[in-house]
Parts: sequence; C-alpha cells; structure tokens
Amino acid sequence: MTQIKKFLPYFLAILAAFVAAGIFIAALKFNPFKAYETIFFTSFRTPNGFIQTVMKWVPLTLVALAFTVPLSTGKFNIGAEGQMIVGAIGAAAVGITCANLPPIILIPLVILAGMLAGALWGLIAAWLLYQFNINEILTTVLLNFVSFALIDYVATGPWRDPAAGHPTTIAIGENGFLPMLINQPPLHIGVILAFVAAILVYLYTNKTTAGYELVVTGANPRASKVHGINIRQMFLFSMVIGAALAGLAGAIEVSGTYHRLIEGLHSNFPTLGLIIGLIARGKNQAVPFVAFFIAILEVGASAMQRTLHIPVQVVLIMEALILIFILLSDLIKRRQK
Amino acid sequence: MTGIEIFLTDFLKLTFLSMVPFILAGQGTMLGGRTGVFNVAQEGIMLTGASVGFLVGYLTESIFLGALCAMLVGGLFGLILAYFTTTLKMDQFVVGLALFFTGLGLSSLLPKLALGVTLTPPLIPTLKDVTIPLLSKIPFIGPVLFNQNILVYISVVLSVVLWYTLFHTNLGLRLRSVGENPKAADSLGISVNLYRYITSIIGGMLIGLAGAYLPMVYTGTFTDLMVKGRGWLAIALTFFGGWSPLPILLGSLFFAGVEVLSFRMQVGGSLIPYQFLIMLPYIATIVVMIFTFGKAKVPGFLGQNYDRERRTL
Repeated sequence: MTQIKKFLPYFLAILAAFVAAGIFIAALKFNPFKAYETIFFTSFRTPNGFIQTVMKWVPLTLVALAFTVPLSTGKFNIGAEGQMIVGAIGAAAVGITCANLPPIILIPLVILAGMLAGALWGLIAAWLLYQFNINEILTTVLLNFVSFALIDYVATGPWRDPAAGHPTTIAIGENGFLPMLINQPPLHIGVILAFVAAILVYLYTNKTTAGYELVVTGANPRASKVHGINIRQMFLFSMVIGAALAGLAGAIEVSGTYHRLIEGLHSNFPTLGLIIGLIARGKNQAVPFVAFFIAILEVGASAMQRTLHIPVQVVLIMEALILIFILLSDLIKRRQK
Repeated sequence: MTGIEIFLTDFLKLTFLSMVPFILAGQGTMLGGRTGVFNVAQEGIMLTGASVGFLVGYLTESIFLGALCAMLVGGLFGLILAYFTTTLKMDQFVVGLALFFTGLGLSSLLPKLALGVTLTPPLIPTLKDVTIPLLSKIPFIGPVLFNQNILVYISVVLSVVLWYTLFHTNLGLRLRSVGENPKAADSLGISVNLYRYITSIIGGMLIGLAGAYLPMVYTGTFTDLMVKGRGWLAIALTFFGGWSPLPILLGSLFFAGVEVLSFRMQVGGSLIPYQFLIMLPYIATIVVMIFTFGKAKVPGFLGQNYDRERRTL
C-alpha cells in the first residue's frame, strides 16, 4: 500500500503529461491515439524494435548517470555531451593506432581510453571548480562547444575516411570491436557494460562509506564540512566519475555501434540524459528504469515521424512536460506533509 | 584609407554589431539575478526567440512584429520561471534546465509546423543600418559607431538606463535589496515576489529579443541550434561584468570582439586549422572566468528562493 502511495503521484504526473501532450498533438491536427500507439508499441512489436530500444538505453543510462553522480554532491554536470565526444575520440584514437593488438587486450584498452579521455575532459571543469570556484554549469557547457570543434578536427584530419561524405574516421582495428551478444539484429556487449556500470554506481553511492560521503555532501554541504569531509574534493571526484561514465558511453558507440568515429555520434543522448536524470530526481538507482522508458519514447518517436509524419520534436516537448509535471507532483507531496 | 584602416573599420563595425545579443541577453540575465532569480534557460529562450522572431517576421512581412513576438515569448518564459521559483519555490536550476529543453524543442518544432520541410529556407529582410546625420561623417568613428542598425543604439542606451535606474534611483535600490537580502527587503514592505516576477519577465523579454537579433541581422533565416552557445556565454558575461550594467556592456564588446576575430580568421584563411578558431570564444571565456569569477560581486541571494515562513535564511 505504501508502495502504491509512493508511486501514485509519479504515475499521475506522467499521465497528466501525456494528456497535455495529446491535446498538443491534436491541436496540430494529428491523431493523438495513433501517435501514442506508435510511440508505445514500436519497441515491443518486433525484435528489431526491442533491440533498437536496448541500444539506445545503453548510452542514455550512462550519460544520465554522468549527470546524476555529480548531482549527488549538488553539482550540475551539463557537459556529458563533450565528455562523451572526447571519450569517443580517445577510444577511436587507441582503436586506430593500436589496431593490431589481440582482442583480449585491445577491447579493454579502447574502453579504458574512452573512459580516461572523458574523465580528463570532465577534470578540466572539475578542477576549475576546485581551484577557482568557477560555476561548473558554465564550464561544462562551454567545453561542449569546444568538443564539437575538436571532433570535427579529428574526423577531418589524418584519420579521415575519404570515402565517407560526412566527417568520419577510418574504422578502428577489427580486434577492437565489441563482441556481439546477438548478431541479427545486432546487439553488442555494451549493454552488459552499461548494466554493470549502473549497478556499481548504485552500490558505491548507496552501500559504501566513501559513496555515503558523496551523498551527504550534496544533502548538506555545511554539516559535511563540519564533520570533516573535504567537500571540494567530493565535488571534484563526483564530476570526474560522471565524466568517465560519459566517456564510456562514447567508447561503446565507437567500438560497439559504429566501429569508427563519426561526427554527431553523440546524437541527442546527452540532452536526454539531463532530462532522465531530472525525472529520476537525481536518484542513481532510478536512472536505468527512466532511461528505458525514454528509450521507448525515442524509438517510438522516430517511427511516428516515419509513418505518421509527426515531427520528432513533439516528443522532446512531451519529455519536458513529463519533467515539469513530475516536479509539480513533488510539490503537491510536500504540501500534503 | 590604408589597408589597415579599412580592416580596422570593418573589424570594429562588426564587433559593435555583434555585441548586441550579448548585451541584451547579459542585461536580461543580470536584471533577473539582481532580485535573486538566476535564469539558466538563456540558450533555449534565445533559440525560441530566434525561431519565433523569424517566423512571425516572415509570415507578417514585418520584422518589427517578429521582434515584438520574440520578446513576448521570452517574457512568457520569464513569467513561467518566476512562477515556478517564486510562487511554487522550486529549484531554480532545475526549472531553468527544464525551460531550456522546452525552448530547444520548441524552436526547432515551430518552423517545421509553420513552413513544413523546405529545401531552400525562406528569408526575411535583414535590419537596415540607420545613419545618424553629422556624427556618421566623422572619419573612422562615424562608420564604426554611427552607421549601425537601430538595435545597436538601443542596446547601448538600454545599458545606460539600467545602470542609472539600478544605482541612482529608489526603485533600483529596492530592486537590488531584494536580491541582496530579501528578508530585510520584505520587512521594509517591499514585495519580494513582485520584484522577482517583473525582473524575470523583462529579463526574459530581453533574452528573447537577443535571440531574434540573429536571424534579423546575421542570417535572415532560422537554422536549428543557431544560437551556438551565446546564451551560455551571456551567463559567463554576467559574472564577468559583476552583475552590473556598464561592465556588462564593456564585456559584451570583448565577447563580440573575440567572436568576430574567430570568424574573420576562419574566412581569411590562416595556418591554424579553422576548428581551433571556432573554439576560441569558448576557451577565451573560460580563461577570463579564471581571472574574474572569484572577484565577481554576485547578488547575495542569487539562485535562492525566498520563503517568508522560514526562520533562517
């Protein structure tokens, strides 16, 4: 009963958002029922649809965690975009230059290079916060724009694939490709990596002392400081972990999905990651579930654009509405207390 | 005129032209922040302003109406921000980010709905230069300063008016007190909520206009993500300018100068790969923040909601 009570406002908020978005779709002279049918069922109608959803779930979960882990300490990492891109660059660089190593070495190396590159990119903003107390929202966002130019430079530089029309590098060594779980439709082991990462983050923040210090810092920085926690170190640390997770997302896209660096491979995942993190209200353990829900919406949205010609942006509005209604439901709960 | 003189005239004219979105968005951010409402949705509001400004301008064939509607939409964003944070007391960053997403989606959705998918984007006429008689005849300074579009003049006048109002009138004193210490302001009978609402709405209007400036002056059309981080840069600029109108005006010149420099060097061809020139404004901003952020005078209650019922601040 208490469980139902706990989730009821949440459920009602999502329902309200769908009703509001449905009215919006109807106002645009489209059929909202058909739209919702496509949005919800595309992921479950065919194996292909389901695997597509899982493949979107992988980066979405990771970039959302890249946002929520720093949020545990009260810091806003808006830079998952850049961290994912630089992670992808790092993974591709190792995958191309060390192409001849055996898979057992190259695969972990590519993944680690991605995580490290992402972490270093995040470290810039984290260090500026640590050393100069510069607002992390600004630095992480500005570094995103720097990373857009950086990936363009790498993808059109010496590794460029001249056969591709779009800025793209040549493929990484075949030994660096992530192994497949299912070949047709393709599903690589990135899904296991993301799953493990999500569990590790959960165990770390909820079950260990070190992770508890992280969460306490976010809950009450002043009290934490009084009790001897170096809160600035916690800020730095949480941001670097988050950035490494975004880097992992980039590495998985390179070594699992595309096998090369492609400009724009980050898609709209990082923006959705922020929405997921906020809908999950910063709770790391809720992120994988919310990410799956959003993955269903996203796969459904592209199908909706293909078959019903409703612009995909409608779904972004829908997601923003879900977020706003969930925030409002919190408020109602607070008033009732 | 010598070559250098021509280059310099051109460079400075472009810099003054490019400072406008920074001024408008920066002053808009500053105004809300001065009462404690920290808007972080600039990028989304500017995108929507650009989109609406262009669409209305195109459909009504009046860029004036376009600019007006962009301001109204920006004001609406400001109103929503104020309602959620002031009346409902929700976290300012979270609401700001939610509004940023909304603006991002809306800006790209609206043209698709209004115009459908077009191969060649429709164009609106760009804003004409207004030549100020006599002054524009002054050598060198004339063409740089007094032969610009109307919004260049307006944005400078606006900055001065804001500076005077904030620091030399009772209204400004009250306004600033709300952001510095809302409890004290409240006890003097100043309506904290009213000030927060009004500054947030006006701030949103300025930010919306800053967005509309891009299609009105630069491109003549709307393209997805055309704001290219100027909204976020405006926040950095506001810190850089210590949340004061006149330093923000000067800061805008600097930000615009870097932008024009980066652009000119890309066009002119240089030894540095153009991607690194694109990075220039963002990296320059981060470097500037290192030197100014710690010293920036920030309104005491920036980003914090005020709840009369709470005992402690």
